[in-house]
Amino acid sequence: MTSDAIPIGHEHVPPGPPAEATPSFARIVLRRTFASWRARVGAAWIGLMAFAAVFAPFLASSHPLAMKIDGRWSSPLLQHLTAADVILLIAAFTALALLCVPVAMSRRMMLFGGVLLILIPTAYLTIRPPATVVYERYREWEAAGRIERAFYAPIPYSPSDRLRDQPQASLRAPDRRHLLGTEVHGADVLSRMIHAARIALAIGLIATGIAVVLGVIIGGLMGYYSGTVDILGMRLIEIFEAIPTLFLLLAFVAFFPRNLYIMMAIIGLTSWTGNARFIRAEFLRLRKQDFVQAAIAAGLPLRSVLFRHMLPNGITPVLISASFGVASAILYESTLSFLGLGLVDEPSWGQLLNQALGVGGTFTWWIALYPGLAIFLTVFAYNLVGESLRDALDPKLSGIQ
Amino acid sequence: MIDYIIRRLLLMVPTLVGITAVVFFVMAYSPGGVGATLISRDAELRPAERRALEEYYNRRYGLNLPRPLQYLRWLGRVSPVGPKSAHEGFPRGLAFGLKAPDLGESMSRHRPVGAMILEALPVTLLLNLITIPIIYSVSIYLGIHAARHRGKLQDVGSGTVLLGLWSIPSIWAGVMLIGFFASREYLKLFPTTGLHDVRAESMLFLPSFGPEGFQRGWLLDTLYHLVLPVICLTYGGFAFLAKLSRGAVLEALMADYVRTARAKGLSEKAVLYNHVLRNSLLPLITVAAHLLPGLIAGAVVVETIFGIPGMGKLTIDAINARDREVVLATTLVAGVLSLIGILIADVCYAIADPRVSYDK
Amino acid sequence: MSTPLLQLVDLSIAFDTERGPIVPVRDVSFCIFPGQTVALVGESGCGKSVTALSIMRLIPQPPGRVVSGQVLLDGRDLLTLPEAQMRRVRGKDIAMIFQEPMTSLNPVFTIGDQIMEAIVLHQQVSRREAREIAERSLREVGIADPQRRLDEYPHQMSGGMRQRVMIAMALSCQPRLLIADEPTTALDVTIQAQILELLRKIQADTGMSILLITHDLGVVAENADVVGVMYASRIVEFATVEDLFDRPRHPYTQALFRSIPRLGRRVDRLETIPGAVPNPASFPPACKFHPRCALTRRLALQAPAEQTRRFRAGDEDIVLMSACVSNSPVPLNYRGGPPNTSNESDEPLLREVAPGHWAACHFTENYAAAAMTRPILDHKRLTATTATAAAPEASA
Repeated sequence: MTSDAIPIGHEHVPPGPPAEATPSFARIVLRRTFASWRARVGAAWIGLMAFAAVFAPFLASSHPLAMKIDGRWSSPLLQHLTAADVILLIAAFTALALLCVPVAMSRRMMLFGGVLLILIPTAYLTIRPPATVVYERYREWEAAGRIERAFYAPIPYSPSDRLRDQPQASLRAPDRRHLLGTEVHGADVLSRMIHAARIALAIGLIATGIAVVLGVIIGGLMGYYSGTVDILGMRLIEIFEAIPTLFLLLAFVAFFPRNLYIMMAIIGLTSWTGNARFIRAEFLRLRKQDFVQAAIAAGLPLRSVLFRHMLPNGITPVLISASFGVASAILYESTLSFLGLGLVDEPSWGQLLNQALGVGGTFTWWIALYPGLAIFLTVFAYNLVGESLRDALDPKLSGIQ
Repeated sequence: MIDYIIRRLLLMVPTLVGITAVVFFVMAYSPGGVGATLISRDAELRPAERRALEEYYNRRYGLNLPRPLQYLRWLGRVSPVGPKSAHEGFPRGLAFGLKAPDLGESMSRHRPVGAMILEALPVTLLLNLITIPIIYSVSIYLGIHAARHRGKLQDVGSGTVLLGLWSIPSIWAGVMLIGFFASREYLKLFPTTGLHDVRAESMLFLPSFGPEGFQRGWLLDTLYHLVLPVICLTYGGFAFLAKLSRGAVLEALMADYVRTARAKGLSEKAVLYNHVLRNSLLPLITVAAHLLPGLIAGAVVVETIFGIPGMGKLTIDAINARDREVVLATTLVAGVLSLIGILIADVCYAIADPRVSYDK
Repeated sequence: MSTPLLQLVDLSIAFDTERGPIVPVRDVSFCIFPGQTVALVGESGCGKSVTALSIMRLIPQPPGRVVSGQVLLDGRDLLTLPEAQMRRVRGKDIAMIFQEPMTSLNPVFTIGDQIMEAIVLHQQVSRREAREIAERSLREVGIADPQRRLDEYPHQMSGGMRQRVMIAMALSCQPRLLIADEPTTALDVTIQAQILELLRKIQADTGMSILLITHDLGVVAENADVVGVMYASRIVEFATVEDLFDRPRHPYTQALFRSIPRLGRRVDRLETIPGAVPNPASFPPACKFHPRCALTRRLALQAPAEQTRRFRAGDEDIVLMSACVSNSPVPLNYRGGPPNTSNESDEPLLREVAPGHWAACHFTENYAAAAMTRPILDHKRLTATTATAAAPEASA
């Protein structure tokens, strides 16, 4: 009956290798997304930034990692680690370890969440770095000859080390000691940029997370219930969409204290509408499909129908929007910092950029080029990944041309 | 169609109320409130004087009233229909009726807000009116080009380049443009800030040749000042619109009616410009609506960097000074512009696509 | 015999895909005479639409490619014409209507604009004259109130009316050949009948030829003069409609007829052709129909063993005639080289097994002795309308 039947007595065409088990949808999508070199370059840069963010205190710090002074060894760097530093380090290693363990993704996320839950309060309660820091003392001790051996981080300047012991520290052009120069207060630009990576990525990821969660909940309810819920929700969406996001952000940010968490929350609160629209459209479409009707008819609780059945099928446009959302969150944070409305003591790429144009038309090129480049490359990287993800998920591009 | 437009205009009102309410209460419930900056500027005051000043400001701007009441007061003042004094508006003699909207008085500059907006708005509109046609024409051309050479280097390459352009933060672009083209250290091709030259008042409108040689004239001078800001505003819009137009053109090229057109013997160019373009413009019109709020926001950054006295700069200054009246007014105006932009886009769409009709 | 209006000679078309070339049309040859209706029948995927589109050169050239062959219109090869001249042929000498009237008309232009576009393109007339011609065309296809209709949009019309508009558009420049690609498949049966009757009437009035692409044998029976049956990118049978229905000679055609339910005949189960149409990317060797062919199985039951081949499929043994299956390993994909007239691949080619009747099967009666010629028939069916119009010529 079939054309590939085996002729007996003639050349024996051996049966082909057994068909591979079809990989899961997530795996197919991941493979397709990262098949293009653009996505890989983007992911590589994001990885680099993540590395910088996690290991920032070890990459750029005025405190020596290990120091032998007056005959005793000590590690000022480790002593001055803040709770946030430690949490990031342990979380990063846990995440890597979990990725190697052959366990289901949802279980991994639960374990990770559990680890964080224990880690965060413990860290904040136990880790207390010294309140005052005098960065100049290491250099004074070096000059005085008190330090016998010391191992410093690759960039031996902390972001807030304003080099008060050195004359004319501010706005030095890049040289051997300060690879990217110094900024207006004297701090090393590269060090500040590495630490700023932390802020950028944190705000990007968490703000987008908030926007996704908010959008999914509101959009899901609107799509599932329709009727009055839908009408009210649409008015809410219209209101948030009619104000330019930057206006809203400025209004929020200017009137509230400059706090990292408030910033994350505010950026998330102003960008949820796109996700809500996507989920609403998806849920409206899915609600009529048979498998949802079957789930409802079987008496499954609403929570289960929404999250286990409908959401995984409708999540794809939100994933794409999330990737672009991280990029735009980073852009917003940079813009706010540039306008002087960002965080006060934390270093930020946008705030560095602000220093480039001085009074009377002066222009400091290294402060303009490098922080701006960092913002651009990070945003570009997320956009590349998002674009590849979008191409991978586009049904029109799959298979038949 | 007319009643559709009227219906939409009426529906704008609750949305505008919502927008201004959100912004108002964000400011009102913020720590320090609105009045703090008013006082703190005059710092060397004795406590008694300070109290008297506070009293004065409270009474003048109603800052000691409960907040919802403050909002309602503002709303009543701004709305064309509301409480009024007997000798103004229509009908006379009544305490309620039609009146001219009063946007209040700026807390920081002590000028009528309406006047300030009337000065700033045309500048921002000018920026946008120059920017939008440029973005659209370039993007459509790029999109058509990419769609016709789908999959080849031009398509993929231009897509990536445009994505890169979109990723450039406008703050960086502005700073770099000024730094390299308008500063003392490098090329001073363009003026650094401002919309007009210092001598703008005394210039003629059109370019002319005078005793000192070529005189720019007011018109050319303004445009000259606008070159860098417009560059800053346009480059980002290309990527988004070009991708959209590429998608729309591709979809149209694969449509059956294009096959019919070719079967009739039309040349490829005629097929493209008559059939494909008409149909692929439709999604671009819908998008135009959402372009406007983005441009207004983008203008904030550009106006601040380039020192152009438009709505964006007005808003930033007001926010920094915690000037509630101005912030509310600019939000209202931005909201009105956005909603009207969306309405115009919807109406244009109905005109362009015969399948869509808003009549019952 | 009169001269054919259109002549396809060994036309082969290939598509270059990522996975290699596929060939949906191989060595297709037939003729269309003036005033004749030629039907191309086959299941989806057999290559009939691609053949039709190739005549008009509407196949996009990458990825499509003409491997070989000619399309002669009045002796002129359309495939070698410069594009500008081909454009003058399209719409004017040859017109085409398509399957989906809804999407085949541009939704943002009025009917009038679209019809006049073709008229203005091919005829030197003013806009007002073009409008009158358009109005006349609409009236000829049976649309009432054509003045008003000209200013309407496609979405304001029903499916049947849209197809009439398509026909009016196609006829507005008086083409000599109308290619109708499944014109009624997307329509209701009653509308189907009306549209086909309309086409017959226009043909009787103007002497236009029609190339009718369809998968519906009923439509063929009522409308065609001459029929070509296509399977797996080749023509496997070619005859007058009377001969074909009277005595189909190819096992595929026979199976098609067996699967048509007949009134008055009681069966437990309708007959189908087992298996599926082969994918051009992976054609079976030799005769493309052999995996589904009932004839080869029946003959193999009684044939001597050396003429048969045994196969194992699943846990069954299948016995087929060895002539239908390749004897030596043969590349499964036709690689796009010159057409294979020496029969190296053992695939049966079209031969004239009876006067005016071509078939491509090793075991059709007379096949071994028949001559391998290209099908050419100028037959027109005898109907009341055509009997007076022209004396029917005997088939060659």
